[in-house]
Amino acid sequence: MRAGDPPAPDRRAVRRGVLGRLERERVFKWIPFVPVQTLFVALLLPNFLLLVYLSLLSWRITRGAWWNAPFTGLDAFMVAIGDERFLWALARTFLFAAAAVPLELGLGFGLALLCRSPFRGRRVYSTILLLPMMIVPAVVGYDLSMLLIDQGPFNQILSVLAGRAITVRWLSDYTAAPLAVIGADVWQWTSLTFLIFLSGFAGLPQDPIRAARVMGATRWQVFRYVELPLLKPVIAIAVVLRSMEALKIFDYPMLLTQGGPGNATETVAVYLWRVGWEFARVSHAAAMSLILLVAVAVYVFIAIRVLRRERRRLAAEGIA
Amino acid sequence: MKTRGAFALSRHAVLTCWTLVTLFPIYWMLMTSFKHSGEWVTWPPRWLPHAPTLENYRAVLAPGTSTFELGRQTLKVLKPLWDSLLVAGVSSLVAVALGSALAYSWARFGTGGPRYPYNLLTIRMVPPIVIAVPFVVYYVTLRLLDTYAGLILVYVATSLPYVIWMMLAFIDDVPIELERAARVMGASRFRVVGTIVLPLVASGLVVTFLFVFILNWSELLLAMTLTNTEVSTIPITLNKFQSANEGRAYGPQAAIGTIATLPVVVLGFAIQKHLVRGFSFGLLRK
Repeated sequence: MRAGDPPAPDRRAVRRGVLGRLERERVFKWIPFVPVQTLFVALLLPNFLLLVYLSLLSWRITRGAWWNAPFTGLDAFMVAIGDERFLWALARTFLFAAAAVPLELGLGFGLALLCRSPFRGRRVYSTILLLPMMIVPAVVGYDLSMLLIDQGPFNQILSVLAGRAITVRWLSDYTAAPLAVIGADVWQWTSLTFLIFLSGFAGLPQDPIRAARVMGATRWQVFRYVELPLLKPVIAIAVVLRSMEALKIFDYPMLLTQGGPGNATETVAVYLWRVGWEFARVSHAAAMSLILLVAVAVYVFIAIRVLRRERRRLAAEGIA
Repeated sequence: MKTRGAFALSRHAVLTCWTLVTLFPIYWMLMTSFKHSGEWVTWPPRWLPHAPTLENYRAVLAPGTSTFELGRQTLKVLKPLWDSLLVAGVSSLVAVALGSALAYSWARFGTGGPRYPYNLLTIRMVPPIVIAVPFVVYYVTLRLLDTYAGLILVYVATSLPYVIWMMLAFIDDVPIELERAARVMGASRFRVVGTIVLPLVASGLVVTFLFVFILNWSELLLAMTLTNTEVSTIPITLNKFQSANEGRAYGPQAAIGTIATLPVVVLGFAIQKHLVRGFSFGLLRK
């Protein structure tokens, strides 16, 4: 799939000056690469080293400069592993993602399926369904905190639907508050999965579908044996994108419940934020960050392998 | 024929249900932003403001009173809006420019090796809280803490992976034959990019810009970490309002929320037609 140089010699092959130099393939292709790579190295490498170093110290912001902090080896990691609140936050984050992501994917896929072919009102529906992803998550968090107050409109709707007075304490009940956070995530990001699948359906190649139809396949067979396999890579990227964002969940608990009641909605991002800035235990936060990094790395490794396999398969069978 | 009618009806039913679910919070925020303070919290809740008012918008936006008394702290609102616009706008522009160039370079010449886009995606997967702690120490050393440049640099880096993945899809659609032909006829590489590739991926650039603009416009965690008093964005302002427990100012907050949502939604409507093309990330067989 590379263009490379055309076999015929270029009429103005010998260019002079700076522009001419930049023209050569081996220079040209690095032009965007250099600033991007510089940015990543400059931002990430020192930070990573600093993270590792800080995790080996015993430093609190309130106690002088970090380079004067005592070196305590792996103490911070021992504290982290022994910190039940941290482990719970970690587990809770994965749990929230495990609850929210399948819902978003299922709803998004179903809605896209309903909206894929033209019908009257399709434009109106899809326009509205795309709205949530355009709203600032912090605004969503705030907005829902207003809807979900004990005497708020959401409970009112529930009461009307149930036909009796229902007062769920969405923001202060141990079972209901996590549901509110998950609900916020689902409400907002179903719009993105919907868009991804809609985009996938719209981009499906028509030839194999028509061929299957001609050969007498039923609607269901076309969907199951032709369209679904073609869509598999798109489904894969939707899963990867949504789950990796869901593991970062921070804004909703912060705005909805501040991690409460108790720690019922404290995700790992919220807890690490507290350890680092509210409790000022920087070294502990650094150690926990590294543990989180390892936990996520396993997942990332699997996700990337899946994506690479899908794209390679495409390159092998489709474009070639 | 009968089953088809039943299908169309149930389709409308399902879609209408989710439409209502989608609209309900948006409607409520919009209505609250027009309510007098006495109507913010009532039982039963008021679905329409009794006497619509622009008081909340005035409180939030008017130049002289763009600070808002809240407990003991005073919050500025107009400046965060401007800051958000500046930081998100500039960082998204830079990211789209760099990222799309890189996507082109990778698609055509394989710059950085076959794994490069995946490596970048890996970076995006790292939860930002992981680097938040050392970032502050690092930025203090570089004197970038609480500056526009500092926040912009971070946002460029975090949005680049998305830019590259989205642009790959659009660049895959550009016929290589066209580029080859132009090269054979003597056009320089820059000319090929400028006159052939750029017009063909223009809608892709807009869609990608919108998407990373949304991400940067709404980012909370890193903004909270890397800014203090000089620079402040809209999500931070909302968070400050929210964590000040005494005397919730629902109306003005709803006004800020509406103002923060409006530009993005308008932009989104404008390019809706193109939106549907950009989100299969080059993962479909042609």
